[in-house]
Amino acid sequence: MRHGVRTIKSKFNIWAILSLIFIAIILIPNGLIAVNVFTESNENWQHIKEYLLKEYITNTVILISFTALFSMMIGVSLAWFVTMFEFPFRRFFKWALILPLAIPPYIGAYAYHGLINYTGIIQSKLRNDFDVTVNQDYFSIMNNQGAIFIFSIFLFPYVYTITKAFLQNQSSSIIENARLLGSSSFETFFRVILPISRAAIVGSVTLVVLEVLNDYGVANYFGIQTFSTAIFRTWYGMKDLDSALKLAGALMFLVIFILVLEKVSRGRRRFSFSTTKVRPIQPKKLKGVKAWLLAGYCFTVFGVAFLIPFTQLLYWAFLTFESVFSSEFIQLIYQSVFIASIASILIVIIALIIGNYTRLHKSLLTSLISRVTTLGYSIPGAAIAISIITIFVALDGYLADLYRTLQIEPVIILRTSLVMLVSAYIIRFLAIGYNAVDAGYEKMGNTFTEASRTLGFSTVKTFFKVDLPMMKPAIFGGFILVFIDVLKELPLTLFLQPFNFATLATQAYKYANDERVHEAALASILIIIVSGIFIFVSHKLLEKEPA
Amino acid sequence: MFVQIKNLQYQYKNSTEPVLKDFSLSIEQGEIITILGESGSGKSTILRLLSGLETPKSGSITINNHLIFSGHHVMPPEKRNVGMVFQDYALFPHMTVEKNIKYGLKKMNRREKQKRMEEMLELINMTNYKNRYPYELSGGQQQRVALARALAPAPSLLIFDEPFSNLDANLQIKIRDELRGILKKTGITSIFVTHDQADAQAIADRVVFIEKGVIKQVGKPEEVLGCASLVMWANS
Ligand SMILES: Nc1ncnc2c1ncn2[C@@H]1O[C@H](COP(=O)(O)OP(=O)(O)OP(=O)(O)O)[C@@H](O)[C@H]1O
Ligand SMILES: [Mg+2]
Repeated sequence: MRHGVRTIKSKFNIWAILSLIFIAIILIPNGLIAVNVFTESNENWQHIKEYLLKEYITNTVILISFTALFSMMIGVSLAWFVTMFEFPFRRFFKWALILPLAIPPYIGAYAYHGLINYTGIIQSKLRNDFDVTVNQDYFSIMNNQGAIFIFSIFLFPYVYTITKAFLQNQSSSIIENARLLGSSSFETFFRVILPISRAAIVGSVTLVVLEVLNDYGVANYFGIQTFSTAIFRTWYGMKDLDSALKLAGALMFLVIFILVLEKVSRGRRRFSFSTTKVRPIQPKKLKGVKAWLLAGYCFTVFGVAFLIPFTQLLYWAFLTFESVFSSEFIQLIYQSVFIASIASILIVIIALIIGNYTRLHKSLLTSLISRVTTLGYSIPGAAIAISIITIFVALDGYLADLYRTLQIEPVIILRTSLVMLVSAYIIRFLAIGYNAVDAGYEKMGNTFTEASRTLGFSTVKTFFKVDLPMMKPAIFGGFILVFIDVLKELPLTLFLQPFNFATLATQAYKYANDERVHEAALASILIIIVSGIFIFVSHKLLEKEPA
Repeated sequence: MFVQIKNLQYQYKNSTEPVLKDFSLSIEQGEIITILGESGSGKSTILRLLSGLETPKSGSITINNHLIFSGHHVMPPEKRNVGMVFQDYALFPHMTVEKNIKYGLKKMNRREKQKRMEEMLELINMTNYKNRYPYELSGGQQQRVALARALAPAPSLLIFDEPFSNLDANLQIKIRDELRGILKKTGITSIFVTHDQADAQAIADRVVFIEKGVIKQVGKPEEVLGCASLVMWANS
C-alpha cells in the first residue's frame, strides 16, 4: 500500500503538473465543442440544419475529395520520378517542387484570380493583341473547380515530400528484385512502389485534407460555402455563437471520420521508415525524349504551382510598392514577427516540457498526453476560434465579477487582448513544435540525462545543463517551423486579433477582399519569401545529413 | 556489509513477467564484483535499480549504512552517490573532457574542482587531453574519461554496464587490466556487468552468475567460471 502512494508521488513531479496543465488547455476548447453538440438548439440552428447544412457538407466533401485525389496524383508521381529516374535538372526540381508550400493557398487564389479575371494579364492580352473576348464563365476560377485547382497545386508538396522521404529510405533491393522479376518501371510502380508507400501516401494526403478543412481564405474569397465560412458567418453575421459552436461540432465529426479513415486505409504497415538502410535506391538514367518529358512535367508543375503566381505577385508588389510601403506597413511586419515569435517561443517551451515528461516516464498516461498534444493540428482553425472565443467571453465574465468584488480598477479584458490569439496558436500549432522537439529527444536518447542524474543532478538541473544545450538544433528547427506557420496563418488571426492589430496575412486578406488584389501582393510576397528561404535552407540541411 | 541488496523485485511496465523475483546480494567495501549472465538475464536492470533510474516493486538497498531504497523510501538517483559508467559512455558532447570530469563536482569550490580534475586525468593517463571534445577521442580514451567522470565525485559505489563492449578485442584486454589497477588503487567498491567470462575472470574479486534474474552461483572467479561456461554453452 505504502509503496503505491510513493509511486504516485514520485510521478507527480513538476514536469507532470505542467504537462497536465497544458493538456487541459488543449482539451477544454475541444470538450466545449463536444458538449455543445448535445445542448438544446435554437431556431437558427433548426434553419441551418434544414436548409444550409447540406450545402456545407456537399461543398466541403467535394473540395476535400478532389483535392485529395489530384494532390495525390501530382505528389506521388513527382516523388516517384525524382527518386527513381535521373533526368535533366533533377537536383533542382528535388527541392524546387517543395517551394509551392511557401505560397499559402489563399494567396495563390488571389494571384490566380488576378491573373485570369477580366482585367488580368491573360484576358487583357487576348483582347488587346488578338482582339479576342472570352466567355467569362470559362475564365473564372471562383467556383469549386477553381478552389480544387488552387488547393491541389499548393498543397501537393505535402504528398511529394513525405512520399519522397519514404522512398529514399527504402533499400534498393526492393526495386531491383522487381526489375529482376521482369517488371517494367511502370509495373514496378503499381505493384511495388504504390503498395509499400501506402501508409506514407495516406498520411500525407490526410495532411492535405486537414489543410483544406482548415481553409477559410480561399473559400471565402471564392464565395464557396464551407464549414469554415459558415461558422464565421453564423457567428459574425448572425451573432449566434451557439449555432456556430454546433457547426464546429459537425465539422469535428468530419475530422474524426477522416482520421478514422486514415487509420483504416493505412493498412497494417506502420508509417515508419526502414532505419537499417542498406543501399539507397539508385536512380535509373533516362535518355532522350523520356528524360525531357519528365523534366517538362516537373517544370510545368513548378511553373503553375510556383513560378507563375510568384512572378505575378512580384510584379504587383513592384507596381504598388510606393503606395503600400509605409510606416504602417513596417508596423505590420513588426507585429507579424512579434506575434509569431511569442507564439513560437511559448510553443517550443511547452513542447520541451511535455516532451521531457513523456520521455522520462513511459506509461499509458504519457502516451495519451503525447497523442493529445498532436491533436490540435487536426482541428480546423474555425472550430478552434469559435471555442476559444466562447471560453474567453466566459472568462471575462468571471473576471469582471472578481474585479467588482475586489473593487480593483484596471480591469483586464482578455477577449480583446493578444492572449486569446496566442492561446489559439498554441492549440493549433503545438503539434508541430512537439513533433520537432520529440524527434530531438528521441535522437538524443535518455542516457545523457541518466548520466547527469547519477552525477548528482535533479531532472530540472539536468534539463538546463544537459538536455537543453544538446537539443539546440531540434529547438531551433521547431521554432522555425512554428514561426512560418503562424506567419501564414489566416482564419485564427483574422477572427481573434484585437481590433488595432493586424499581420501580413490578414492585411493581404483585407486588400484582396476589398478588390485591391495588387496591394495585397507586397505582404504576400514577404510571407512567401520568408517561407521559401526556410524551405530551401531546411532542404539543404536535410540533404547534408549523413545517411 | 558495505552494500546490501535484499529481496529486490522488479517488472517492466509493458512486460508480463518479472525480470527480478527475489534478488539479494551483499558486497564488502573495496570489493570488485562481476555480474555475469546471458543477454536478457537482467544484468542491466539490477544496475538501474541500484542507481535509482528504475524503482523496484519491493525489497531494500543499503549502501554504506544509508538506506537508499525500501518499499516506502525511494532516494532519487542524484542523492544516492552511486557512480555509473555507461555502455556507450554518455559523455556530454557539448562539453570538453575537463568540463565532463568537473560536471559531478558540484559541492567543491573552483580550486578544489581543478585539483580533483587533474588528479583524475593523471589517474587515467590523459593529462594532455583536457581540452578535447568527446568526438575528438578514440573509443578507449572516451571510456577512460567516462571512468574519470564517474570516479571524480568519489561515489560510494561505482557500477559499470558492459564497459568494454564497444572496444576492439586488443584494447579490451589492455583496458580491463588497467581498470582493475585503477579501481584497486582508489579502493572503490564496484560492480561490473558483463556476458564475457574472460572479462569476469580478469577483473573480479567475486563473480555472481545469474540466469533469468536468479543467482545461480557466487564465488571466486575460478570457482564460478567452470560452471557458468557449462550453463552458457548448454544454452547456446
Ligand atoms: N524498457 C524495457 N521494457 C520492457 N522490458 C525490458 C526493458 N528493458 C529490458 N527489458 C527486459 O527485461 C529483461 C532483462 O533485461 P536487461 O536489459 O536487464 O538484460 P541484460 O542482462 O542487461 O541483457 P544484455 O546483456 O543484452 O544487455 C529482458 O528480458 C528484457 O527484454
Ligand atoms: Mg544490458
